[in-house]
Amino acid sequence: MKARKGEVKVITGNAAAAYGAMLCRPDVVASYPITPQSEVVEQLSRFHADGILDAEMVEVEGENSAMNIVAAATLAGGRAFTATSSAGLAFMFDAFLMTAGYRAPVVMVNVNRELTSIFSVSGGQQDIMTVRNAGWVQISVENCQEILDSVIMAFRLAEDIEIQLPVMVCYDGFYVSFLAEAVEIPTREDVDQFLAPLKLQPERTKLVPERPLGCGTHGILRGFMELRYKHCAALARAKQKLEEIDREFGEFFGRSYGGQIEEYRTEDAEIVVLTCGSAMGTARTVVDAKRAQGLKVGLLKLRMLRPFPRERLIQALKGKKAVGILDRSVCFGWNCGPMYMELRALSPDIGPVPMMSFIDGLANMDITIPHIERVIDDVYAASQGKPYQEVTWIPLEE
Amino acid sequence: MVIFREFTKYEAGWSDADEQLLCLDTGSWRTKRPVVNREKCNYCGLCALYCPPQCMVNMNDHLAPNLDFCKGCGICAKECPRWAITMVPEGEFAHEGAKR
Repeated sequence: MKARKGEVKVITGNAAAAYGAMLCRPDVVASYPITPQSEVVEQLSRFHADGILDAEMVEVEGENSAMNIVAAATLAGGRAFTATSSAGLAFMFDAFLMTAGYRAPVVMVNVNRELTSIFSVSGGQQDIMTVRNAGWVQISVENCQEILDSVIMAFRLAEDIEIQLPVMVCYDGFYVSFLAEAVEIPTREDVDQFLAPLKLQPERTKLVPERPLGCGTHGILRGFMELRYKHCAALARAKQKLEEIDREFGEFFGRSYGGQIEEYRTEDAEIVVLTCGSAMGTARTVVDAKRAQGLKVGLLKLRMLRPFPRERLIQALKGKKAVGILDRSVCFGWNCGPMYMELRALSPDIGPVPMMSFIDGLANMDITIPHIERVIDDVYAASQGKPYQEVTWIPLEE
Repeated sequence: MVIFREFTKYEAGWSDADEQLLCLDTGSWRTKRPVVNREKCNYCGLCALYCPPQCMVNMNDHLAPNLDFCKGCGICAKECPRWAITMVPEGEFAHEGAKR
């Protein structure tokens, strides 16, 4: 079975997120506007006003309420969607943690932005990296089509009976949120069909008036540990589940994204650059150019930030001569990029090859073609045994 | 790894009147305890619904607090539509000794 060809529209990343959510027929939408995410809320409200979206639209006074409302809606058995960014994510943080502990299958898009302070209304990935140990599934995406498709896949993943975890789809604010691209919008019927397997699964535990239950009451000692263990086990299962959902999506809609990571020209590569989000587009161009010059360079896109795709990364990086990791945020205290820090944890599995951290693109500094050329040149030099510096803040060395 | 002896069948921290999740000894700081008048109780379950630590236990024909967890907040007594629950000072149970 193949999906029908959907209508192609030129829409922004934010609109793509709203289309993705609308097509999944959420029961409850609660979201508070914040730059650069506001357009998601506007578009969803427009869908609701036009009668296309039959959801309870809750006008909230802040992100904390938004997250509590969508978590409660999913605990009552509903499907719920929200969107936020940066300070909004920070403002909902306690509710955000509760949602993970509830195992409430909320789907949220986060439009990546710098976190205060230093105050800045500009792009970066500091927000998603700061919350990466909160127990959510985090999927980082690159372009408008991937946003729409990933929101649909996120509902399949979140609500799966074996998973039951909140899922955050993250895309770069400013760079993708306001970028208009041609996006194929699947038909409602096809999205219904793609989500239909969820209805065949056993029902998840939910709040019903006939059988009073509490969720989020305290458990300590063994009960607490057991629930933490179950949470981690569900995160571990989510890795394979995303691969399966991505494959199924590809077979049905004709588009797939590699699951946990996307490998671009890595097979015969000697050196590899890893990054995520919107920088991927530029990086592909540079890798193609370097390949044309005969340099065996490959590119990895980290799609799943949490759970961390350890096994796939080891498989992709084993035998490479050097690895460069390009981060759009910093890891305070380690003073390198967060993805670099995590890749270093795989060093024993990958082998004693140079690993280099590159920090670029903070607060709307563009990650340009020359910047990525420099990354590749530096990583190549390190692979040839030349001395290298561990962490490079690219714009500061220009 | 397999969990040797499962404490709860749930994936998350769900708790209800029939099963326990709570193992924090919250009963020790109580100053009053709810006493259920079984003549008046019509087993409606509202006390269990409102109980913050979810410690009302289903006794099949009425509900009674699990005193290991009951903090004595009195919400059950306040909410009971039939006034079947009375909050009695702990001192009156002093003869029971160290037992909560």
